[in-house]
This record gives sequence, structure tokens and C-alpha cells, in this order.
Amino acid sequence: MTQREGLTRRTFMKTVTAGATLAASAPVLRAGSVAAQSKPVELVHWSWLAASDGEIWQQMIDNFNAANKGKAVQIKMELVPEEQYVTKLLAAAATGRAPDFGWGTAGLGAKLAKDGVTVPLDDLAKQVGLDLGDFADSSLKAARYPKYGNRLYLIPMDLMSLQPEINLDHVKEAGLDPSKFPGDEKSLLEWAQRLTKREGGKVVRSGIMMTGSGVHPTVTWGIVAEQLGFQRASDDLKTACVNPEAGKQAMQWVLDLFDKHKVSTREVTDRYKAFGTGQGSIFWTGPWTLNGYVKQGLNFATFPFPKIGQRRVTYFEEGGLELYAQRDKGRHEATLAAVKWLSDNSFLWTTKGRGASPRKSLLARPDYKTGGHPWSVRGAFIEGMEFATVGEIPVVAAPEFTVYAGGNFLAKTLETVWVGQKAPDAAMQQLKERWQKDLDEG
Amino acid sequence: MAIPRAARPRGSARDDRARDLSGYLFVAPFLLFFLLFNVMPILFGAYVAFTEWGILGSPRWVGLRNFTTAVHDEWVATAFVNIGFYALIIVPCVTGLSLLFAVFVNQGWPLSSLARTLFFAPNVVAASVIGLVWVWVLDTQFGLVNRYLGLLGIPAIPWLTSTRWSLVGVSLASVWWDLGLAFVLFLAALQDVPGELYESAAVDGANPLRQFWHMTLPEVRPILSLVVTLQLIATLRIFSQVYVMTNGGPAGSSSSVIHYVYTTAVVRQLMGYSAAVSMLLFVVIVGVTLVQRLVIREQGGWFRSGA
Repeated sequence: MTQREGLTRRTFMKTVTAGATLAASAPVLRAGSVAAQSKPVELVHWSWLAASDGEIWQQMIDNFNAANKGKAVQIKMELVPEEQYVTKLLAAAATGRAPDFGWGTAGLGAKLAKDGVTVPLDDLAKQVGLDLGDFADSSLKAARYPKYGNRLYLIPMDLMSLQPEINLDHVKEAGLDPSKFPGDEKSLLEWAQRLTKREGGKVVRSGIMMTGSGVHPTVTWGIVAEQLGFQRASDDLKTACVNPEAGKQAMQWVLDLFDKHKVSTREVTDRYKAFGTGQGSIFWTGPWTLNGYVKQGLNFATFPFPKIGQRRVTYFEEGGLELYAQRDKGRHEATLAAVKWLSDNSFLWTTKGRGASPRKSLLARPDYKTGGHPWSVRGAFIEGMEFATVGEIPVVAAPEFTVYAGGNFLAKTLETVWVGQKAPDAAMQQLKERWQKDLDEG
Repeated sequence: MAIPRAARPRGSARDDRARDLSGYLFVAPFLLFFLLFNVMPILFGAYVAFTEWGILGSPRWVGLRNFTTAVHDEWVATAFVNIGFYALIIVPCVTGLSLLFAVFVNQGWPLSSLARTLFFAPNVVAASVIGLVWVWVLDTQFGLVNRYLGLLGIPAIPWLTSTRWSLVGVSLASVWWDLGLAFVLFLAALQDVPGELYESAAVDGANPLRQFWHMTLPEVRPILSLVVTLQLIATLRIFSQVYVMTNGGPAGSSSSVIHYVYTTAVVRQLMGYSAAVSMLLFVVIVGVTLVQRLVIREQGGWFRSGA
């Protein structure tokens, strides 16, 4: 009771004033140097890695937090579905609550860079001592947007390619030599024929496993088309559909796998599960599948994508971390310092998660080939990077050009070909019109 | 009849106001959330439909451009045609089967309590889970449905992978999922029908079929109208099953308008355009519902005809 009597009007006013002052100064305090704060800063990180590689990435974040326990910075990771990622990011950015950093794909972020959602990183990298000279030149080139200032918008974490994985039990059963994987179109189709199982004329085990629609036939078309000389956009990003005849030829090549050679069936719906359960023998996919299949105990190997056209190329994807604009710019430096740690310690990520590493120093480590998953399953993904060139078209409409997609304009247009609704001629004409418009708009 | 002011007891106006105020206070929490999360988003969506907007920055007014683009968009046309087919398959199947099951359970035969639980059970499972399960059930090579059809000598049907069958495949899962609610509504209606009616009809020599046609159906007509309306609206907005089972494919053969709206808004961030397509769907739903209610009301005596 005596205490209550002590709460005079003056004391009350003092308390309120002090509280109000503290509240008003909070944004100012927050804007101060992150490093100067005594309380650890929690960086918010968004990730869409949900395949088996997601487990390894979680380990990477846990490793960071363990190594920095009691220090200035900790990372809080939140999982966001990949297809909703950009929309959620934009909504967060619009309300000033964007995460500090997140996963991005090089070449697909032109719009984010143009709109100032992502932060240019060249200067920040110097500030935190991240040695960009240790990164493969091509990896840095892929993370820039020539049309929008050519600055670096992503720190490359891994370089990925699409290469064929092959079920070794099926190879043995078909009497094929597992030391001589197919290297060209002829041998690929021969192997596929030997590996295919049919019942009553119907394919029940695909020699070359594809889905009937969605990502897989689209990316197969993308690779074969570029091998045959097609380009979605000219090098100067001004003309769409260079050499359309090659693009149409590639459409026919994919159709022939289903209808002429009958080594694939449109009945496969979940390609990852189907390969894991032995419904297919050859499956071109990315290194993000390795962890799952290795853990499952699948007997498989990986070999370089065969040469089908004039030049051997395959799909290229570069994953990395991008920083998002913050009101408190002081957070950027702390964030890139954390990203630097993750990059410097990405041996685990690029040997068990996915990739080849973009870091020369990691690739040069003597244990790079022996660490992580066996070389027989990941070697092709690393050695195959030298011909992985079917990447993104670095314009604002990049998502409509990407060949690794199931629902973009390209995939939907090609689907009409796969089901026989449209002839390759008509589909190519549609692609050309739409893509040219996209390129013209920048 | 209005009470003359002079005849009112003193203070009654104040009492009325107090009563009104307390009424408003009771509805205020709901009204606040309803305005915030229903009315305002609808109004904002209607506004955005006339703009170009990619979430960042302010929407840019483009007039009717989104609507004219939508009208000429072949994928929009396909999606609208598809939901028409979905409605033609799902609404009659759900209505007919749920009524049939309700009549069956209402007989009070042994195990009818178990049947009631089983018929309703799918409805408590999330649509996405139903979709995932049915992907396996309808798998062309390994699915249960094709396995049983095979026993009857019927060749495997590509339920989800062909343009001819994908819509049917998704509809099968939807019917299975949607049956539960309609079933419960019909069962409640049937339990309200007085048993004496059937006894009298039996005394008059009406067989079960005639009893069903001339007594049961007219008695449950208001619920029938409700079920058809609810099911029609739900079917025109079909999304989860499509998204999980086929993602609209192959070649858009199973896509729906909401699936298209989702793709354009969430995947491609074309907020103005997707809002315009949503508005078109809104108009279609309102139109179809009005016509359907009109038809059911006009045919009020239909079930009794020939009596």
C-alpha cells in the first residue's frame, strides 16, 4: 500500500515520458550499427529448398548458428513454397518486412533487381572481405543483369546441371555394360530400347523416364533444341527464337520418345518417385535428387548428358543467396558477412547438398572428390558443368523463358504439342510472338 | 399498429436506443472482421481488376484492358469451359448419390450408423489430402481403380494423364470428397419427414418408389435446392483437387478458373489481370446461381406431377 501511495502524478508523468521517449527512439536505435548492438541480431532467411537437399541446407544453417553461438548474429530460417516465393517476397518488401536474405536462381531475378527488392553486392562483398576472385567467372556473370546495371545480385552457392541418372539394376538386367554409358543419340536410344519394358504394346517401365506434361518434357525439349542449334533469345537479347526449325525438330524428338521409339510413357505423374521406385531406367535430373536416392539405397549412377545435336549442352542452373532491401541498411553488412560464412563453409553443401561448387578453392581441395556422396553419383554433375550452358534469359520476363518450369508460357505451349492439340509449327509461332514481345518490353 | 408517442411509457425511446446499441455492440466484432477481411478485399479486388499491379508500388489504372485480354485469352476460355464440365459431372453425381445414401441410412437398417460415419468421413479430410490419395488410386499403371477395371477386362484408363480423362479423374475425387456434407443435409431433412405420411401412403397402396417420388422428394425439395446451389458454387470454384492432382494439365484439360487465377496472381504476380478473371467468375457464379434457383422455384410442383 505504501508503494501505491508513492505513485504521484509527477512520478507517473515521468514514467510515461520516459517510456514514450524510449518507444520513439526505437527505430533510431535499430538503425544504428548492427555490430554495435549488444543483443545478438537475428537474420531472417527465406528458403524454398524442399527436396532432399533441404535437409543439408538446414544443417548448413544449424552449423552457422552453432559456430556463432553467443556472437553477434544468428540466422532464423523460414521455409516458403518455391512457386509462391516471389509473391510473398514482394508482399513482404512492399510492407517493409522483407527477410534479410533468401535463395534465388541466377538469371531469374531481373525484375527484383530492377524494382530495388534485391541489393547489389559488389561493394558489400569488398566490405566483408568476400573474395569474388575465388568464384568461377561464369558463376558471377550469371548473377548479373546486363540490362540493369550489370551489378552482382546474388552470391553463387552452387552450380547445377541436368545429367542422366541410371538405374544400375536395370542396366545389369538388360545385359548392358555399366562402364560404357551412352554418349550420343544412337547409343542413347539403343540403351533406352533395351531398358524399356512393355506389356501388350504399352510401356510399363520407361527406358527414358519422362512425365507426359510439365517440367520434364519441357526441359528435355530445351536441352535438345539448343543442342540442335535453337536459341530462345539472341545473344544481344533482341531477337526471339533464333533458328526456329531446330526448335521444332526438338519438339518432334521429344514426341518420338513417346510415340515412335516408345521408350517413354505419358503415364508417369511423379517423376522423382517413379525413378526411386524403379518405374524408369534413365532419368535426367539435377543434383538435388542425390541425397534422397543415396539415403534410400537406390543402386544408380550418373553420366554426362549425351550429344544429340551438333554440340553437347545441357541445362544450367545456379543457386545462390540474394540480399533484400532493408530500411535499416546496417543489416546488409551483417547479412553478407553471414552469407560469406555460408559460402566459405559450403563444402558440405556442394558435396552432399547439390552442385558443383562455384568456389575455385573448394574445387581444388583434394578431398572434394572423396567427400560427400560417392563420385559415381555426383561426378557427372560436376564434370558436366563445362557443357551446361542452357541457362536463363536475363530479362524481366525470364520466368516465361525458363526451360525448367511446368506452368510458364513455354511449358503450357509445349504441352499442347505433347498431347497433339497443336503442331510444332503453330507452337513455335506462338512462342516467337510472345517471347519477342517480352524481349521488346525489356 | 404504431403506438402514439403520448401513449408510450416514459423512457421507452431511451430503452430502444440502449437495446439497439447493445445489438450493434454484439454484431460489431463480426462486422469489423467481415468488413476487414471480406468486404474490403472484394472492393479492393474489384478496383485492382481495372489496374496493372505487381504488388510493389501503386496500381496503374488501365480501364477495361484486363477484361478484354481475358476475353481473348484461350486459357481463360478453356478454364471456363472446364468448370462447366466439372459442374455437369460433379453436381448431379453429388446430389443424386448423397440423396440415395441418405435414404439408405434413413431406413435404420443394421450398420446404418457405421454407414453414416463412412459416408461423411471423406468430408473431414482436407481436399489436398484427398487429392494426393486419389493420385495414387487413379494411377494408370498401379492405381486401384484400373486394377479393378482390369479384373473386369477393361483396359487401363489414363485418368490423370490424358486430355480426354483428366477432368473425369479430378471429378471422381471431388464427388467422393463432396458427398459427405450433402449427405448429412439430406439425412437431416429426411428425418424431419413425418413417418405417418409413409404409413398413410402404404395403406393407400403406394409402393416405395412412388413414396420416394411423390413424398420424399417434395419434402426435401428446399434442402435439394440448397445442396444444388452450394455444390454448384463449390464446383465452379474448384481448386485444391485440380492443383494437387493434375496442376491443371495436361495442356489445360483439367484447369479451372481459380487455378488460373492462382497461377496468374501467385506465380506470375499479374494481380490486375487475375482480379479481372476473378470478377468474370463472380459474374458467372451469380448468374448461374440465379438461373438455377429460378428453375427450381419454377418447377416447385415438378415432383408432384402425375400424382
